[in-house]
Amino acid sequence: MQDLYKNRSRVFIGVFILFYIVYIIRVGTIQLNGNAYENKAINNALNKITLYPSRSVIYDRNNKIIIKNYVMYDLFAFPKQLDTLNKSFICEVLNIDTAFYEKLLTETWLKSRKRRKNNAYDRSALFYSNLSEAQYTVLRENLYRLRGFYVEPRTDRAYNVTGGGHALGYLGEASETLLKEESYYQPGDLVGITGIEKYYESIFRGIKGVKTVWQDRTYQERGDVNNDAFNIAAISGPDVTSTLDIELQRYAEELFKGKRGSIVAIEPATGEVLVFVNKPDFDPNELVGKDRSRSFRRMLIDPKKPLYNRAVKGVYPPGSTVKTVLALIGLQEGIIEPSTRKGCAGGYHMGSIVIGCHAHPSPLDLEGSIQISCNAYYCDLFRQIIDHPKYGNVNAGYRVLERHWRSFGLGSPTGIDLLGEDGGSIPTVEGLAKRHGKKWRSSQVVSLGIGQGEILLTPLQLANVAAILANRGFYVTPHLVKSIQGYSDTAWLRKFTKKHRTTVNPKYFETIIQGMSNVMKPGGTANGTGIPGIDICGKTGTAQNPHGKDHSLFIAFAPRNNPKIAVAVIVENAGFGSTYAAPISNLVIEKFLHPDTLTKVPFVLERIKKSVIEPL
Amino acid sequence: MKYENQQSRDGRSDWIAVALFALLITIGWLNIYSVTSDVNQEGFQISAIALKQLFWIGGALLIMIVVSYANVVFIHYLSYYIYGFVLLLNISVLFLGREVSGAKSWFGFGGIGIQPSEFAKLATAMALAKFLGAYGMRFKGLKIIGISLAIITAPLIIVLAQNDTGTALVFLSFYLVLYREGMPGYILLSAVLFGILSITSIYLNSFDVSFIWLYGTLIVLGLAIAYAFRKVRQALIAIAFIVSISLVFSAVIGWTYDKLFKEYQKDRIEIVLGLKADPRGMGYNLDQSKIAIGAGQWNGRGFLNGTQTKMGFVPEQHTDFIFCTIGEEWGFFGVLVFFSIYLAFVSRLVLIAERQSDTYGRILGYSAASIFFFHWLINIGMTIGLVPVIGIPLPFISFGGSSLWGFTLLLFVFLRYDQARRN
Repeated sequence: MQDLYKNRSRVFIGVFILFYIVYIIRVGTIQLNGNAYENKAINNALNKITLYPSRSVIYDRNNKIIIKNYVMYDLFAFPKQLDTLNKSFICEVLNIDTAFYEKLLTETWLKSRKRRKNNAYDRSALFYSNLSEAQYTVLRENLYRLRGFYVEPRTDRAYNVTGGGHALGYLGEASETLLKEESYYQPGDLVGITGIEKYYESIFRGIKGVKTVWQDRTYQERGDVNNDAFNIAAISGPDVTSTLDIELQRYAEELFKGKRGSIVAIEPATGEVLVFVNKPDFDPNELVGKDRSRSFRRMLIDPKKPLYNRAVKGVYPPGSTVKTVLALIGLQEGIIEPSTRKGCAGGYHMGSIVIGCHAHPSPLDLEGSIQISCNAYYCDLFRQIIDHPKYGNVNAGYRVLERHWRSFGLGSPTGIDLLGEDGGSIPTVEGLAKRHGKKWRSSQVVSLGIGQGEILLTPLQLANVAAILANRGFYVTPHLVKSIQGYSDTAWLRKFTKKHRTTVNPKYFETIIQGMSNVMKPGGTANGTGIPGIDICGKTGTAQNPHGKDHSLFIAFAPRNNPKIAVAVIVENAGFGSTYAAPISNLVIEKFLHPDTLTKVPFVLERIKKSVIEPL
Repeated sequence: MKYENQQSRDGRSDWIAVALFALLITIGWLNIYSVTSDVNQEGFQISAIALKQLFWIGGALLIMIVVSYANVVFIHYLSYYIYGFVLLLNISVLFLGREVSGAKSWFGFGGIGIQPSEFAKLATAMALAKFLGAYGMRFKGLKIIGISLAIITAPLIIVLAQNDTGTALVFLSFYLVLYREGMPGYILLSAVLFGILSITSIYLNSFDVSFIWLYGTLIVLGLAIAYAFRKVRQALIAIAFIVSISLVFSAVIGWTYDKLFKEYQKDRIEIVLGLKADPRGMGYNLDQSKIAIGAGQWNGRGFLNGTQTKMGFVPEQHTDFIFCTIGEEWGFFGVLVFFSIYLAFVSRLVLIAERQSDTYGRILGYSAASIFFFHWLINIGMTIGLVPVIGIPLPFISFGGSSLWGFTLLLFVFLRYDQARRN
């Protein structure tokens, strides 16, 4: 039989070859087009799981743990993958209602959108933080059927203290601004918000690691990626030793109960802050875990302002405490001698204006003026300095005084390792001229001489002044962190070991210190507040407060020779410096120097503990 | 005849075809092994699926041997009976079968499923071969054409009823066989043209062009052309004819497309036509398939290293989308080799078909070649986004017992016939 269509076999082969070529070209355009597809494939199959390091453990100066970490479990979700069938189960386990579930889901959506995971199709985000042990157990057992959910361990802070929050700081979720500024952070990350937690955030946080796992289409883990290039171990924050003495801190907090104000204690030789108390304050234990944000919001609106860090942000007129500094400046400038005597007739008289003083023997020499805190002496000394003919005019005279003051750390932040420190204020010549007119005279600003008026200090600056007096002329920038493991030779450390000398020669200090030593002796302003057996040098202050009762102030250091501790205490609206500030200061000094013996002044302790000063 | 001298005188099978078959089976199993392997697998660890496929391959080899000893006359004689039996099986599966992903085309025996439609391809080929091979028949005359079309269309409709559109479409490849047997070329050509017209219609459909305007324009245009060519009567008639047929056709297509196609089928078609971009829904599969193939680049990501396919981002990664594994793990070079083997395979079948001394053998051969080619065309076209997603296996490569056995039978019944053609 004749085959008429034999040639058609060529059509077949031709068609085969045609499509062979077409398909080869098509596959070629897909495959030979750079590695965009390969990257997509890699992003599909790899899931990078963040390994959270534990934050630095923080010890006190005596190696007692102040802050450690505990592991908590967070529930993460791929919002797109969630199965509504699991909603009721999740609600039941987490003990939430469906409305709250929806709210959490919306938040997860928002977070997931921000999550910086390069162009993967789906992103997971924190769904519910801080699962309880029971919740964790139930969820872990049922995770296989809870599509889109996974549990991740993280650490949060655990405190061994109930105070000290203003120094230590607390953690909170990274803010929008921080997320924008630093790509290191992911929404939901805990970061230091205040205190040393904030200041040393980049060190304390450690370094996040990455674990890369294979993940299939349903987001099921399919094992680790065994390639070191994809896995980085998390590095914990280094161990940190704080300068705080946590027992002393606790004691000071106890003494301050029911009062408002601050106490800051410094080891003079090193600038190490031993005690850092503000009242009212907060319990850092409330700012952890899932109650964190609720507690935080409550504290924010609390009229007592528990979050307010008075020690570095509160500015107070220092009152008589800074007479010590003025006296030193007078000696340094050669305007007075230790033996210079000045009379006092119940106050300092300038025409019809009288700056009052209490009743005391008159005239007084320099030592006595410190012991008795004579206002007239220092008003006169103040005017004597700035009006001194050797400077030419009052402006020049004041500039000399201002320069000395500033060398004592007044008028600018001390540089402590806390953010947001206030520098207080020392008026400048320009400021005075603006206020009192170009032709201002010393009589208009005479109250500066007794620490009133435009001179304002933070409690920390005051403590630093106490440390300078103890050191006879220098200070080391106060700081709250003593050492960080692995950071022994850094700029940070050098900053906090450098000695800053004042403009006053050390030889002038002894007279003043003698006066301070006499403050607790008969005739002194704080007679009766001393501790038997300890040579405490102190200076009271009673700062006039336009808003209410005077503030009670006291600065002190002890022992007189080779001082171990310098203290500044401010008790708001508590009246005389000797009533509250001095006993509190001295009890703290006693406790520090003799930590293991009972107080020698138990009646003082009782009185201080019991007293409650109603604000305003 | 020209080829008679080249035939294997000792009556052996065509070794080139058998070698290519063996090569394809091996490639297939290696890729199934790879795609079902564990992600961090070290050493040789066989998955349940790869093991099962090994079992199917063993069965296929058994079939190969059994068929090699079969009596050719008996095969020829049984053609209609086998056709009838398979059609019955395919009808009964409608009532007795179980549903697998929407299609009711499987008989279940314990853990093993048999898909009778896979065997309908061979049965149809045998019936068509026997019918057209009888009495030196030519593909001419209404009756013969009618019966031939009926032989092809019957299984097509039954399989369509099983809701297995992909397999049903495979029966269209018999039109290629009919072309070889003398069906006028313009029928195939017009089928292609109508295909293009259909696609255009769907395009226009989705752009919401008012049909009245479209038709109006076309009619006015047609009349203008008719007027211009009014001297040439033949041309005038032809143009009028073509225009009216096209109009009716596109109207019908528009209507059919709207009314008869299911939403998911429309989606698949529109995604391929680029009318719809939907990377999360229907288009997701195609997207992932392209990512898998694209990730292979020149040399591929290496055997066992295709995460895209292994991790299930590509759907049906060991069955219909197995080509993605070849693309991802073996790269462009691998694809080139694989396509070349496949091209050689189907071309070899055409060559063997051409050397047959009778119509029966030739039709069997062309059926095999056309079916294998059609499967390749649709399956690969689907993974690279040139054809809508239609679920049909890649012969000898995809996982699956029924398809492997069906294809093996199809191939070796023909090779047996070739081997015995002078006996």
